[in-house]
Amino acid sequence: MEIKTLDILPEKVIIPLKQHIGAVCDPIVKKGDRVLVGQKIGQSEEYVSSAVHSSVCGEVIAIEQCANPDGNKVMSVVIQPEQSDERVEFSSSQSLSSDELADIIKDCGIVEHYGAPTHAVLRPKGKKIDIVLINATSSEWIGGKYKNPEEYAYQMMDALKLLMKTSGASKGAIVLRTDDRESIEAFDGIKVDNRRIVVAPLVGGRKLDYYYKEQGSDVVVVSQKRIYGKKILNFFTYNVTGRKVGSGCDPTDVGVAICGVKSAKALYDVVHSGKPYYETVVSLEGVDGKTDHIQVKIGTLFKDIIEACGYNGKIGKIIANGVRTGVAQYTDQVPVTKGTTRITLQKPEHVLIDESTHCIHCARCVDVCTVELLPSRIAVMADKGQFDECRKLHIENCIECGDCAAVCPSRIHILQFIRYAKQSIGLAYEGVPSESASGPKAGSACGGE
Amino acid sequence: MTYVISAPPHKKERIDIQKLNMGKIIALIPLCLVAIYFFGVPAIQLIITTVLAAVITELGIQKIFKQKVTIGDGHAALIGLMLALLIPPEAPLWIPVFGGFFAIAFGKHVFGGIGSYIFSPVLVSWIFMRSAWATHMTALSLPNTGQLSDLILESGAGMLVDVSPIALIAGLYLIHKRYIEWRIPVSFFATIVLIPQTLLFLSGVYGLIQHGVLNPLMYLSQLFAFLSISPELPYAMVGVLFFGIIFLATDTPTTPVTKNGRLIYGMLCGLLVFIYGYFGNYVEGTLYGIFLASCVSSFIEMNTRPTSYGNASFIERIYGRIKAKVPESLKFEVIK
Repeated sequence: MEIKTLDILPEKVIIPLKQHIGAVCDPIVKKGDRVLVGQKIGQSEEYVSSAVHSSVCGEVIAIEQCANPDGNKVMSVVIQPEQSDERVEFSSSQSLSSDELADIIKDCGIVEHYGAPTHAVLRPKGKKIDIVLINATSSEWIGGKYKNPEEYAYQMMDALKLLMKTSGASKGAIVLRTDDRESIEAFDGIKVDNRRIVVAPLVGGRKLDYYYKEQGSDVVVVSQKRIYGKKILNFFTYNVTGRKVGSGCDPTDVGVAICGVKSAKALYDVVHSGKPYYETVVSLEGVDGKTDHIQVKIGTLFKDIIEACGYNGKIGKIIANGVRTGVAQYTDQVPVTKGTTRITLQKPEHVLIDESTHCIHCARCVDVCTVELLPSRIAVMADKGQFDECRKLHIENCIECGDCAAVCPSRIHILQFIRYAKQSIGLAYEGVPSESASGPKAGSACGGE
Repeated sequence: MTYVISAPPHKKERIDIQKLNMGKIIALIPLCLVAIYFFGVPAIQLIITTVLAAVITELGIQKIFKQKVTIGDGHAALIGLMLALLIPPEAPLWIPVFGGFFAIAFGKHVFGGIGSYIFSPVLVSWIFMRSAWATHMTALSLPNTGQLSDLILESGAGMLVDVSPIALIAGLYLIHKRYIEWRIPVSFFATIVLIPQTLLFLSGVYGLIQHGVLNPLMYLSQLFAFLSISPELPYAMVGVLFFGIIFLATDTPTTPVTKNGRLIYGMLCGLLVFIYGYFGNYVEGTLYGIFLASCVSSFIEMNTRPTSYGNASFIERIYGRIKAKVPESLKFEVIK
């Protein structure tokens, strides 16, 4: 896979001070300051937060609320870059202890693509992690520049070891996609600790535990079917490790930490070159269906990327992070953040304008559902506000992949109904102790096989 | 530049209600053509009147109640067409007019329009007219001869739909294109075929028992009964049965939405049709059988709801069901 590097001098870059779940960073630069590449410009004392670095060398022209690809406005540092690559001194720091690694992760601003700061995933407060997974099913190569497939595989294995060391977990695994031959071949046959890696498929009842036992190793590489969605983590955990995550819990509750390729690569870079997380690779899916992979600096505006790739026709819709669940942008003045993986452009004539009609119970949504739900029934219950009924229909299992809404002949906004119901359930039980009999966690404590 | 913002997903499959209905109408056109060829002008009259009556009724109702007019989605036309195929061509012309009106008004809109009815409007109308004007609704002949050529051209066709079962082959294409879901047709058809064959096998075994045969091989050999065609089967293979399997039983609002539920629904249809057909005839048996099966479709759906991640085994599911029935006061648990 070819990865281009965006090599332009943009008018300005916008670096949001919150590119993660958790506390907003406080800016540590002022308007008028000159910042260097890799200089820290925002940090927070809170544990669940992650530092933010400048990706360019230039002058801070404003610190203000700016549009964010999430769709809302976030306090951001606006920098006017200059033609210079002056950067702060990066120092590689090898053979670190577990605590030092966690500090470095926070300090260098490494976050997962789903938003959680990596150190908070690896070392959650009050929980013990015993398996670290690298999810390479959706963004296999995207995440950094590699000379060849082997280098990618070796770096991932090294990164996995670093992640395991940070979290104190004894076991780790890299999860590939079954139909992604390129990555599977990259991993197949490489030698780690004098042991050949064999990519094992996750089929039937054979979950991770089986392969740990069979291969007699604590680090395995497995492959599974492609699954995607916004709230994929619980289902992914169940699929890979066989551990069921109760509703209202997350994988860390059952001792599983899930990292992405991007954050693994970022950690590898930090440890080996000291470079903080200020560059990322995004895929640009153009109007003609061609996809480019571009390495960009965090904070680069969508407009600059689109222009640099030579799309100058009329654009009807700009979508961040995929056509299924992504957010449509109201302006092209939004920056690439750490959580941005994909930008999709649609021509005005391809923009869908649909009107919902009555459900005809065709059950197409039931047939496509990855997690065996009845989306049409959940949508009806959510519409009526009967959220307890939704819970009886296991709404919490929904991974929000949007397949149900995509195949609906009546154009019902099933995904939005489900999100609405989930949110309302969350609000209804906010502050209720989890031991309470009626809470969403009732009957099943987090975790269990 | 301004951009459109909307909720995800931003890319959808190109399918809508109109397409689904049009697909079914097109799949029925070959059958109509064959029927017109054999029955002549009365068949044309019948089809046109029923479709017009259905569409005009829908238009009228939606105008009177100030609803959005949806005759463009083809659902009323499809109902009219399906009903026309179930009326004998000898019937006087007011029968299809009334039938089309009744199907739309009392079969569909009384329940709340598309997607809300619990019985297929076609069957509601057909059964009403069959009870009210039995003389007009009884076909002059019943297709029940047992030759293979009858699958291509029915010699004793009574209604338009019976004229040529093979003309419904476009229904298979609809199943392939997922306009019609495969579970109900497959389980329906399998049940209809397997029940007579099983009866043949059982009657063979019963005969051996009566003769006091002790050799187990003799009993085993009765399994060959499944290879020979039961004499009951040719009676079942009539056009209206195939029509029912592909178009009537799969009317989506009247079927369960769960995957297992649809399989069970298909089997139930098969069983009911077989019972009626065995003692009566398969032409009416199909229509009554499907009508009765849709009575219990929501019951089937409630009992086949998938469990979390859909991975509970059969025993787990039974245990869960029993546990749910135990009153709260009788439950006790270990306090941690």
